[in-house]
Amino acid sequence: MPEFSLTPDQESLRDLARKFARTEMAPHAAECDRTARFPEEIYRKAYDLGLMNLNVPTEFGGSGLGLFEQCLIVEELAYGCAGMTTSIIANCLALEPILLGGSPEQRRRFLTPFCASYQLASFALTEPSGGSDAGAIRTRARRDGDAYVLEGEKCFITNAPHASLYTVFATVDPERKHKGIAAFVVPRSAKGVSPGKDEEKMGHRASSTGTVRFEGVRVPAEDRLGEEGDGFSIAMRTLDQTRTPIGALATGIAQAALDLAAAYSLKRETFGKPISEHQAIQIKLANMAQAVHAARLLTWHAAWTIDHGGKGTLESSIAKCFASDAALDVADEAIQTFGGYGYMKEYPVEKLLRDAKLTQIYEGANEIQRTVIARELLRAYQ
Amino acid sequence: MEIVVCVKPVPEAETRLRVAADGARLDAEGVKFVLAGYDESAVEQALLLKEAVAGSTVHAIALGPAPRTEEVLRAAVALGCDKASWIEVPSGGSDDPLDAARILAAAIRGLPHDLVLCGKQAGDDESGLVAGALAEALGVPGFGYVVDLRWDAARSRFTFHRAVESGQESWECPGPIVIGLQQAWNDPRTAKLPAILKSRKATITKIAASGAAASVATPEKFELPAPRTGAKMIEYRTPQEAAEKLVRILREDAKVFP
Ligand SMILES: Cc1cc2nc3c(=O)[nH]c(=O)nc-3n(C[C@H](O)[C@H](O)[C@H](O)COP(=O)(O)OP(=O)(O)OC[C@H]3O[C@@H](n4cnc5c(N)ncnc54)[C@H](O)[C@@H]3O)c2cc1C
Repeated sequence: MPEFSLTPDQESLRDLARKFARTEMAPHAAECDRTARFPEEIYRKAYDLGLMNLNVPTEFGGSGLGLFEQCLIVEELAYGCAGMTTSIIANCLALEPILLGGSPEQRRRFLTPFCASYQLASFALTEPSGGSDAGAIRTRARRDGDAYVLEGEKCFITNAPHASLYTVFATVDPERKHKGIAAFVVPRSAKGVSPGKDEEKMGHRASSTGTVRFEGVRVPAEDRLGEEGDGFSIAMRTLDQTRTPIGALATGIAQAALDLAAAYSLKRETFGKPISEHQAIQIKLANMAQAVHAARLLTWHAAWTIDHGGKGTLESSIAKCFASDAALDVADEAIQTFGGYGYMKEYPVEKLLRDAKLTQIYEGANEIQRTVIARELLRAYQ
Repeated sequence: MEIVVCVKPVPEAETRLRVAADGARLDAEGVKFVLAGYDESAVEQALLLKEAVAGSTVHAIALGPAPRTEEVLRAAVALGCDKASWIEVPSGGSDDPLDAARILAAAIRGLPHDLVLCGKQAGDDESGLVAGALAEALGVPGFGYVVDLRWDAARSRFTFHRAVESGQESWECPGPIVIGLQQAWNDPRTAKLPAILKSRKATITKIAASGAAASVATPEKFELPAPRTGAKMIEYRTPQEAAEKLVRILREDAKVFP
């Protein structure tokens, strides 16, 4: 039988994240959203508490958590501020290729010094010409003696302007499509690496997103992860790991929207009674509660599947896709419950809608998730 | 320095408390108990002294039922306490703070202690009696409402202040002493993730409860305050509008000024 109660260990991790989200993140969420400030002092505290490099084993200085525990933490953090959470968990995304594709020597060499202090890393896959079709990336890696020379541009890269390390995907031969992609670890300090400015975004405004240009950047061959053609598989396997926490992030947004809407409905009176006593609002709240609950359970199930050795491609795609759609719906209904106040920036619910939107787009747009779900599904019928 | 810090599991601040069916206690069902408030400050104070005085040991001790008491002790270990001891008493036992002090004293007598720290009062019943009663039971000096506790190594004594009405007392006293702490002068730290995971495996030593006298005081009745009525919310768009409406109410309805 599956077990749905948390162990005391899991509860204490969740409590840590909850406390951090509510006391350190939430009080600054509105201000960072308004001004698009990147609250580095909060990220530094998250690092100090061990809330940052969650997936990196303890032997390299990370927190060494399974995916389930990561999801518990990410949901709580997102409840406080989704944008900050995106920046806090970007290291997990950026370092996963090293965990999956790096040799034991590379893992030690890159991860140990990186995790020893507060530093940010970015996962650099998406390019201006396209994100969904990762096999068609154009950034070139030309072999030159015992090194590669990188040439190209990445865009929409989380934390890029602040990162000290990038995991970069580039092609050694565009003709070879997926099979020509290689993954590299590139320090910000390498000559020719230039991050661009922060993009102005609709939501997740406490996070930073930007371009990175690679102009004649020499990367030693020993900093390539796996073989030349392994890059695509490393990227996809990375996303198989990190997709589920995006489901948790979306669940955190949805839970925040539900909590705000339910509390407001008890206070706001129309036609002589609290709006919570109007059946239309009750139905809304009931539907929102179902969506939040289902999103959480799908996320937990995907994490559990992967933690128990399953590939989890289907489960994590379902979790990410469902939870992100749920987050958008629930945030939308929360605004509707607030009426005109919900539309006002002075109230916290409209931010949740803007934040929820991104979860349908990044780490594999939901159209791609549905393609994956259908492919995995149909396989069983063929 | 051997520091003993007493901690008590109290309901989390966000918990909705309900009165139990018998009306004489709070319903613990579904309530999350945590290390909180003044006790967190006491632990912080213990850790600050440990950091200041080389070779110190901090021993957290708690009295109460499973599993909540074990949980707050693990929280204390996660924050940096070196040892933890649990005096298990069944849930629903005596609520008398003097009993708590007697049982704690019986246990602490068997432990090395130069300093016994308590929060000035527990975050739930707020009786504020345990520190004083503990000093009495141990037969050592006791001080309540203490701030800024330090160790003067040259003179081998504790120095501290007591916040009193319109002023501050300054004291010094050699150990062993019992201190009821007003608050730490630093913000209590937050336990880090690796320390939390490690604390899950820490040894919690069980001490048998002894020393309780027949308790004379028992709580009779718990009541939630009746909901207040008559509050009037002012709806406004701008601070000016709020002020104008408020002035009108004060003038015309409440007639506070003409
Ligand atoms: C705030 C933010 C942060 C990000 N952080 C990172 C990061 O850290 N690292 C990184 O590498 N990337 C990052 N991204 C990029 C993100 O992963 C991509 O935006 C996403 O993968 C979609 O790629 P695209 O924007 O190029 O859209 P496109 O690939 O151009 O897609 C456009 C639309 O077409 C749909 N579509 C595409 N192909 C198909 C198909 N075969 N069938 C059906 N529909 C299809 C898509 O779903 C989408 O709706 C981030 C993006 C944002 C907005």
